[in-house]
Amino acid sequence: MSAQPKDVARRAVLAGALATGAAAALTGASTARATTPSGDAPRGFHGVHQAGVLTPKRRVAAFVSFDVTAGDRAGLTDLFGTLTDRVRALTTGGVPEPLGISAPPADSGVLGPVPPGGLLTALVAVGASLFDERFGLAARRPVRLSTMPAFPDDDLDPSVCHGDLLLQLEADDTDVIASALRDIARHTRGAMQVRWRVDGFASPPRPVGTPRNLMGFRDGTANPDTGDTRLMDQLLWVDAGQGEPAWATNGSYLAVRLIRMLVEFWDRVGITEQERMFGRRKDSGAPLDGQAETDTPDFGADPTGDVIPMDSHIRLANPRTAQTAAQRLLRRGFNYDRGTDANGNLDMGLVFCAFQQDLERQFAAVQRRLAGEPLVDYIRPFGGGYFFVLPGVRDANDRYARDLLA
Amino acid sequence: MERVRGTTALAAAAAVALTGAAVWQLSGGAGAAPGAGGTSQQQADGYPGLPHTSVQASPGGCGTGWSSTRAATGLQVFDVANSGIAPADVQLIEPASGAVLGEVEGLAPNRSRPLLVRLAAGSYAFRCLQQDVDAATGPTVKVTGSGSGSGSGSGSGQGTPAVVPVTQQDLIPVALAYQHWVAGQLPGLVADVDALHSAVASGDLAGAKQRWLTAHLAYERLGAAYGAFGDVDDEINGPRSHDTGFHGVEYGLWHQGSTTGLEPVAAKLLTDVKGLAAGWPKVQLDPAVLGVRAHEIVENAVEFELSGRTDYGSDSNLATVGANLDGTTEVLTLLRPLLTSRVPMPQIDAAMAAARAQLAADGNTPLGSLTQPQREKLNAVFGDLVEQLAPIAAVLEVRRTQ
Repeated sequence: MSAQPKDVARRAVLAGALATGAAAALTGASTARATTPSGDAPRGFHGVHQAGVLTPKRRVAAFVSFDVTAGDRAGLTDLFGTLTDRVRALTTGGVPEPLGISAPPADSGVLGPVPPGGLLTALVAVGASLFDERFGLAARRPVRLSTMPAFPDDDLDPSVCHGDLLLQLEADDTDVIASALRDIARHTRGAMQVRWRVDGFASPPRPVGTPRNLMGFRDGTANPDTGDTRLMDQLLWVDAGQGEPAWATNGSYLAVRLIRMLVEFWDRVGITEQERMFGRRKDSGAPLDGQAETDTPDFGADPTGDVIPMDSHIRLANPRTAQTAAQRLLRRGFNYDRGTDANGNLDMGLVFCAFQQDLERQFAAVQRRLAGEPLVDYIRPFGGGYFFVLPGVRDANDRYARDLLA
Repeated sequence: MERVRGTTALAAAAAVALTGAAVWQLSGGAGAAPGAGGTSQQQADGYPGLPHTSVQASPGGCGTGWSSTRAATGLQVFDVANSGIAPADVQLIEPASGAVLGEVEGLAPNRSRPLLVRLAAGSYAFRCLQQDVDAATGPTVKVTGSGSGSGSGSGSGQGTPAVVPVTQQDLIPVALAYQHWVAGQLPGLVADVDALHSAVASGDLAGAKQRWLTAHLAYERLGAAYGAFGDVDDEINGPRSHDTGFHGVEYGLWHQGSTTGLEPVAAKLLTDVKGLAAGWPKVQLDPAVLGVRAHEIVENAVEFELSGRTDYGSDSNLATVGANLDGTTEVLTLLRPLLTSRVPMPQIDAAMAAARAQLAADGNTPLGSLTQPQREKLNAVFGDLVEQLAPIAAVLEVRRTQ
């Protein structure tokens, strides 16, 4: 056990020096609303906003980043038309079109002869690279969309970063994701290719309250209330008057971060130290100065961090001041668990997803404040990207990116 | 490398054809009577919510149960029941052209199966093909109404595509022409392998490498013939072996960097291709496999070449894919008269041209040296091509019509 003193020493140094390192907002702070997987009746496909932002998380998800291989603007327009048709059909369900003897079957049959509607929630977003010279869209780029930078202590693997287009698929059962992705890939093979993919799952409440991440802590306790339309307009949705191109109205910005948790190392850390890193109790999720998960921490009453350390995650992520209120974002992440590494350690962690109106004002500002927090020793952000969530497909005659490509 | 999917399926069908009637008579047929109410699971699997029409299929009563008074456009299900004494194929056709909109193949006596179809306004009939009995066509039913009903993915007024089936007789001349083309290629292949063997035998490493590429591409160009080559194909070009055949020679030339010890491998390869050429005139190519080959050559190229799985040092996967495209082009050229009215050939030609253009753009770059954008583009173009080629096998499946 000679490694133990060394680990402890390294932790102490980092905890004391708030200079290096980076972390994602694994747990935030603000008002409370638990995001519970499933349960609610699924929203239909059509809407002003896309589903998959305010809708409750479903049990399983796939994040699939694509590069567009279509050669020109017409090919890109075809691609968004096909994507619209397929996602509409897949979310609506119904009998796959019979093709007689003219072709192989139109559908894989994985969901039976008549796939039910409402099983799938899909969201389409685009990356900054879509607005390069290939399709003549440079002048229409959402003004706050950039390529995700490497934050201090990120360890980004380019093969799992960025992409022209991101598909977020959610369902309550894995076969729904598998068949949807298969269908979409089949219809778009020539026009886009998978760049990277990661699958996630939403844990059920254990035993109640906000679901836990794989560090064992409740994650999402302090999310803004998705039922508060005015708040969502302030924090999430792009609207006229924000300097964005007109086509982008009712879109949103999405930061995806693939964050490995070094769970073996984490499991060798004492409970008090774990809780002081987060600023919350592990069992109840209560802030260290409170009793219940939903209690609001009172940082003002603890100005020197005697109860909730100054460098704890919830204190840095959301100081709960008037100045930082506009930095709040909607976290909608999924846990991931995907095998082992060459050392025999488990590769598991979080597909961190945050929706917001302004990546710089919200995600990046929080991220910079978290740099060097003690938690960085136990996590390793290795992939992801910045994306712009397209406005919703309003009706049967609308399609994704219609106004962008008009 | 090859697959013999088509021939296997046909062999099984032939076995049913020979023994079906007798077996069904011995066993007394199946338990459930046609048209009888099934379990709830059967109902859930049988397109609940769509209009259903029960139709009898027997030589004496083909299409009974459907008439103009009950006919409607739109998405619907015919529950086709075989009331005959032997297995039967049942087709829903346009009587004027003989084109098929849907089929139930190998329907056992006393069994019912759903046939899902979207009907536009028009005239239709059922055709019942019971084994060992002449085809029977039921009464023509005139369907009137506007469009083809609502539903996912349908064009306005469009019904399920109707395709005129292809018979064995249609394909025989194509198979003979293909066999002739292969016969014309084989002497060149033998000469190329002979040259390879000579270079190996004389210790000429650089010459052997060059001749290996030439000979291997000559073999890969024959793509569609693999099914006819049988087990010897595995000896000549098996992807899992690096001690025999082309890949055995490749592994030696590129990995050990000398011809030492490779002469026997090259000699065996020469013997095998000579045997192939000598035996070719006696081979009877199954016409039914040509349609399958038209898409499987590229399927194999994607699986074995674009994956890099068959590279044993020569880094020639992309050149091999080019040779596979040559083979596909030959098959498509010979099949074209049968295909133009059955599949969208301009789309297929465009996808073939795009694949050619991408290979030309990538040159003979080793797969591992392609950039990510190049690799994605290559995968996209070939992914699209196999999707476009897939309907060919479906429409060229051999079907009875009489």
